[in-house]
Amino acid sequence: MNCQRARDVFPELLDSRTAATALLEARTHLANCPDCQREFATLSQTAAALDAMPTPHPSPRLRQNFYAMLEEEKHSAASVRVVAAREERARRASLWRWVLSPLVACALLLLGFLLGKRAVPAASSMAPGDDTTKRELVALREQMAQQTAQLNKMTQLVGYSILQQQQNPANERLQDVLLAAKAETPSEKVIDDLIQALTLDPSANVRLRAIEALYAHVERDVVRAGVIAALPREQNPLVQLELIDFVATAQDHNATPVLEKIAADEATNVTVRDAAKLALAQL
Amino acid sequence: MIAALDEIHVHSRPSLVNRSRAPTSVDSATEQRPDHALMLAVRDGELDALGELFERHHGPLFGFLFKLTANRPAAEDIAQTVFQRMLKYRHTYRDDGSFTAWMYHLARRCASDHFRKANAAPHATDPVDLHEHADDAPHAAHTATTRDDHALLRTALARLDHDDREVLLLARFQELSFAEISGILECSVGAAKVRAHRALAELRAIYFRLSKQAASSE
Repeated sequence: MNCQRARDVFPELLDSRTAATALLEARTHLANCPDCQREFATLSQTAAALDAMPTPHPSPRLRQNFYAMLEEEKHSAASVRVVAAREERARRASLWRWVLSPLVACALLLLGFLLGKRAVPAASSMAPGDDTTKRELVALREQMAQQTAQLNKMTQLVGYSILQQQQNPANERLQDVLLAAKAETPSEKVIDDLIQALTLDPSANVRLRAIEALYAHVERDVVRAGVIAALPREQNPLVQLELIDFVATAQDHNATPVLEKIAADEATNVTVRDAAKLALAQL
Repeated sequence: MIAALDEIHVHSRPSLVNRSRAPTSVDSATEQRPDHALMLAVRDGELDALGELFERHHGPLFGFLFKLTANRPAAEDIAQTVFQRMLKYRHTYRDDGSFTAWMYHLARRCASDHFRKANAAPHATDPVDLHEHADDAPHAAHTATTRDDHALLRTALARLDHDDREVLLLARFQELSFAEISGILECSVGAAKVRAHRALAELRAIYFRLSKQAASSE
């Protein structure tokens, strides 16, 4: 390989992602050619200096402007329409699930029953005293009993989830939240449910209980992020006050842009605005 | 023979692994969704997902634009415009797209618009900028900058042709493949590689020339 052809491979050799797989011939040439070594060394030195060049951090203004723009876009007419369409699709999908899930459960039960029917005659026709076959039959029955129990459990879970989404009255949802609050070391799922209740539940009472329950887990990032996400969406002044109190207690600086917006929004309740200003001062 | 080659240090690119900040939205706090999935969600109306993308990418994007423009306020304005256009043109994001490549494609367009507007507006010549012109006599301000290696390289980068600077920064810093860079620059993969290499060679020439000037003036 001559110098020119070897130098054509320099881009690959200078890139850490491709250096190892670059042509062996070029690497061999480079190892033996002082001119190419000088050329490569100066290029490598320049690339290293470029890589080491420090970059300043953007000012906080960039983040503030971005989130202000995002909020504005979320409230624009086009975005609201898209969100409404998405919610409508989700509602329809949920309805389908509500109709289909009992049917699927019935089909599975029927299938289990038919399989059972086929297994029982085979068992009755066996020779008496055959211990191995008896044990197999007992094991098969136990397996079927377990599957049936599992199926019932699944059906209950599906039903519970659907009821929770669509039919549970507010006081039942409230009970769920209170139950979740009692858990000393709640799972991620329970925390998620509480955040979901805080963000999406139509009842202000449920949302208030959810925020109270979440106080115990203020040290978790996901909880603080959930509360900050719920704050700009909240319209009820009582819940807004609770949320502001929460972020002030949490001392989470990520809440600053949201609080600033609430404090500046003249349409917001005066008490809420004052609370936001106080929280900003605390942060 | 190959062992001798290993002695020539091949400098790896700066890692951008830590560029992702802690997730701020509820969804992503529980599971880290890939950029592409987040952008598809934004396209489908889940605008909050753009917050997550902003947190992941605004640092490297600003870094790219700062090196490209050598102007902090301009870099911030362009970065802001890039995210604004992501929102505005979110419906154009493709199912088979790469988010990073799309973002730098937008960044390139926004930077080009910025330079066009800046050039169209009448402005007084700042004496500080005069060292950017070819001049064999070392300028006092220039001599001062070359005392520092980073400042020297920044000066060399600023003297590089805009297109060369752009391809070099994309190739060196943004963890983009040459296939993606060629898509951003609308050229073939081979052409992108050649352009990036020529730009590095040109930067080297300017950098070493400036180094010599600095050494002789001290």
